[in-house]
Amino acid sequence: MTSDATKTALLSVAGLTKDYIVGDLVTPVLKGISFDIYTGEFVAMLGPSGSGKSTLLSILGTLLKPTAGHFFMLGNDLTKAGERELTKFRNRNIGFVFQYHHLLPDFSALENVMFPAVASGLMDDVEAELRATMLLGRVGLSHRLNYKATKLSGGQKQRVALARALMNNPALVLTDEPTGNLDRESAHQVMELLTEINAESGTTFLISTHDSEIASRCQRKITIIDGKIDSIETNPVVQHGLAAA
Amino acid sequence: MLYEAKVALRYLLSSKMQTGLLIGGVGVGVLVFCFMSALINGLTSDQIEQTVGSIPHVTIEPREQTPKVLGAADGVVVLPAILRDNTQRAQIRAWQTVLDSLHADEKVRVAVPVVASNGFIARGQAIQPVSITGVNPEQLSEVAAIGPAIIKGAADLDLNGIIIGARLARNLSIDVGQTLVIRSDRGGQRDVKVRGIFSIGIESLDERVAYMNFKAAKALLNLDNGISRIEVKLYDLDMAPALASNFAASTGLKVTSWVEKNKRLFNAIQGQRSTGSLIKFFSIVTIIIGVSSALLLTTVRRKSEIGIMRSMGMTKGFINRVFVIQGVLIGLLGAMVGASGAFGFTTLVLELAVRADGTLVFPIDPSQGAYLAGIMLATVASTVAAILPACAASRVDPLEAISQ
Repeated sequence: MTSDATKTALLSVAGLTKDYIVGDLVTPVLKGISFDIYTGEFVAMLGPSGSGKSTLLSILGTLLKPTAGHFFMLGNDLTKAGERELTKFRNRNIGFVFQYHHLLPDFSALENVMFPAVASGLMDDVEAELRATMLLGRVGLSHRLNYKATKLSGGQKQRVALARALMNNPALVLTDEPTGNLDRESAHQVMELLTEINAESGTTFLISTHDSEIASRCQRKITIIDGKIDSIETNPVVQHGLAAA
Repeated sequence: MLYEAKVALRYLLSSKMQTGLLIGGVGVGVLVFCFMSALINGLTSDQIEQTVGSIPHVTIEPREQTPKVLGAADGVVVLPAILRDNTQRAQIRAWQTVLDSLHADEKVRVAVPVVASNGFIARGQAIQPVSITGVNPEQLSEVAAIGPAIIKGAADLDLNGIIIGARLARNLSIDVGQTLVIRSDRGGQRDVKVRGIFSIGIESLDERVAYMNFKAAKALLNLDNGISRIEVKLYDLDMAPALASNFAASTGLKVTSWVEKNKRLFNAIQGQRSTGSLIKFFSIVTIIIGVSSALLLTTVRRKSEIGIMRSMGMTKGFINRVFVIQGVLIGLLGAMVGASGAFGFTTLVLELAVRADGTLVFPIDPSQGAYLAGIMLATVASTVAAILPACAASRVDPLEAISQ
């Protein structure tokens, strides 16, 4: 294992808090969270329901603003960025894989994967199609390129969602219970893909999960309980990601 | 913009039933718009043709000569009795200059010099009062729609000819080719031959009006240097009041537009146009409400997709444009369908809705359907209608949408 001192921090969270305010009622959800995630890491975020995992994931995905604290990624203080800036940053640097695939039903698998690059003007059609075809091939869906999203099975949809998350070659992929809606076989395939892609490309993954088996395949486990970091553990046996780099 | 258009088109094609209904709805709105335009404009043209077609759009006459009251010394109160000088016939002396300037105006279709006065027609012991109108033979049809109303003889106005109404001919027991004496109100008289007898169907005209050759009438009325009035017809009737003011200012003469002389008709036409505009306005409002409500429902149905697009880094502007483009496409397609339908429908009505005597049940004019205006207005309306749903869509909270 490489020591933290020699690794590059992709993102740093410092004293992050988030309160939900409804009328006079203030509900603190995150209570001063601090941690770093390093480039190329494969990290699990564990915690019971209501612990604040999803809220933290939303803040790290720049979809939600924290109440206080700082969140740096790739050297940018994203807590100070405006909405337009965050939208662009998200498109270029962050990929999402949700529990439910959230594919665009009127588009084919290929078009869904191309979408983040073409719609934002990051790539032209030809370049995007080449990369999307390659990514769909990587997730084992070369034979489903032109299938409508609605015609794919649950596991296939989630693999398309993974390819879409990787389309803009993001620095960080956030996944929220990525296998939560899948059968055992499909869940296994998706997890295999995540670990392989992490190992091959060095893409950083942060996986929010309840599943201890998934967590056991990650290099580090960050456990959150009641809005606070309960523990951060390193798994010395996992060899992919940074360990393999 | 290209990709937003692709998404918009894909959304429209994925809900064919809804899109079809929306395009149909816009089409019906545009059909009503164009049909009402064709009907109201056709009706207006018909009414104007019936009434204004035989009268001048602008009439230029001499100003009334009113003697001026000279100022009185301080403290002296003057109570003048003004008597108008009727010894001289009112006339436009520099009429040729005025006529030349009217001919040079591109808004003027035709300007006709006319001499006119009251007089009498005598045949034997029978005497009938008439209104004498002298006009150049080739310009008679511009002054009055006499040609189609001729029931005997022809509309020939040679130097010795006269055309009279059917009732006057009956009162004098005179026929085409016979001679009578015409006298002016100032004593001049001349023998003329009846060349034609007309029947307009309006008793006062058929009994009191007589048309003569311009030069013969000038001699009869002792108007060697002047004329009574200039009758002007324009290309655009609606410009008559404005042009009348311009002519009055430039000539110093008394200038009256047909609007001033036919206030009732003008008000009726205006009322008709306003009613048509109101119906057209409501058809456009219907388009806005229909398109807006349907697209609002689409934003609700597509909320999670909008959320995922936002999470993938699509800007609010991108989402906005996807919905506005849908509005533009619906408006444009619907408007073209509606305008085509309106043209077909008005043409069909024109061909089928005909009475036994050949007159139209609806005086509709398919060429006045304002199709381009309908297409443009409906497209703009549909685009405007899409703005509210577009704003609603761009405000969708991606987190809320994704967690649904």
